[in-house]
Amino acid sequence: MSGVVFHPQMPTVLGPTVPPRLEEAFSAETNEIARLVAGLRNQPSPASLRSEPRLAPDEQPLETRLFDALAAVKILTAQVAMHLDGEWRRKLFGQLDSLHDPEEWEAGDEPVGPSSFATFLKAILSIRPERRPGLGLSHTGNIIAAWTTGRDRLTIEFLPNDRVRWVLALYHDGEEPDRFAGQTPVSRLAEGITPYHSEHWFSHESKGDEFTR
Amino acid sequence: MRFAAAIDTATLDKVSSAFKPLYPREELLRGVQFQMNLGVTPSAVEQIGYRRSSPDQTHILLLIPPSLLMSQLAPYPGWDQFFTRFCRDWGVWKKSVGYRKIIRIGVRYINRIDIPSSEPVVYEEQFLSVYPQIPEVLGPMTQYAVQAQLPIVDIGCNLTLNSSVVPSPLLGHRSFVIDQDIGKDNPPQNDDGIYQLLKQIRATKNRVFEACITDRARELFEPCLG
Repeated sequence: MSGVVFHPQMPTVLGPTVPPRLEEAFSAETNEIARLVAGLRNQPSPASLRSEPRLAPDEQPLETRLFDALAAVKILTAQVAMHLDGEWRRKLFGQLDSLHDPEEWEAGDEPVGPSSFATFLKAILSIRPERRPGLGLSHTGNIIAAWTTGRDRLTIEFLPNDRVRWVLALYHDGEEPDRFAGQTPVSRLAEGITPYHSEHWFSHESKGDEFTR
Repeated sequence: MRFAAAIDTATLDKVSSAFKPLYPREELLRGVQFQMNLGVTPSAVEQIGYRRSSPDQTHILLLIPPSLLMSQLAPYPGWDQFFTRFCRDWGVWKKSVGYRKIIRIGVRYINRIDIPSSEPVVYEEQFLSVYPQIPEVLGPMTQYAVQAQLPIVDIGCNLTLNSSVVPSPLLGHRSFVIDQDIGKDNPPQNDDGIYQLLKQIRATKNRVFEACITDRARELFEPCLG
């Protein structure tokens, strides 16, 4: 968990002590105090430096909105990349890129939201499923993951602020499926689906198997 | 790297284009400063730089006059690859911009240590050797941030060292950050001197990091001290 960042003293866009043009309006002592106080701040990594968009999201070109959303979640992924298998991460990015293909984008949909994606990462790193889920996006930009075993299906929507909503569909031969649903903090997701046999969804061995009930 | 003189817009555009094959994604960076002169209406001055990145956002290049910044996000490929990347990009920069006096070279290393724990209380002393000491009567801490600044005499650099608790991106974990910023004012101007300085900074960073963590922290991860 080590990283390197070439980093001269912080560029002004990260927040100068006193804006240079205003320095003359303050005494030398005030400027020095401001410099020392600013020096005590734990500055963000320059890698996280992004400009605030000048246009409202719905006024930005579609490509810009999609790129910004993808960049934000890829940077989030970098925060936990040391806990992710490289191949898993690469395929995840492929899925995300595919979901945000400008040529197939539905007008009015929202690109992936960083808060939903952070919830997704927490869940995945907690559950550590052997099987990769299929991914989708809700109309509002929430990540949706689905695991299918035979005809049975577990669908989880990752909401902002560490909440999840899940739905299970369990089929019996020739019958309508039993459906179960829940909404919990992501920290209790594993607990919430344990009664429905987590390994049925997440284990490689379960792929295509019938759920033993 | 920070340079003595500003870089004009035309040169900035040129160098950003030169980096396009290496960093395909380009974003404009905008910052607004308010110019206040007595008796004159305040006017907004827009500073523009570029943020270029690889498609997976792990390689980032910031062109913010008068600075050039390179950033590597996780997963980290190790020092050799990073140094090779620096030499490559430094060559592209020099070819586009020409010689400019360098007034500072700095390297920042941000290490996060994730500790399995569901308790809200921080037991930093078990994992780190840099943390605030507070009277025992005040009870355990839940958050902290400390900073120390000190010279590194043998290589003529200054170290700014931050240690803090940060929100963990993982469930059931507490996370600490050891953040080192090692820089040298009036650094060497030629390539050999620059490369030598970077290698010295890297060795110092490893020494500082090792001094800042305990054996218990070492047990948690395989340090990538590349």
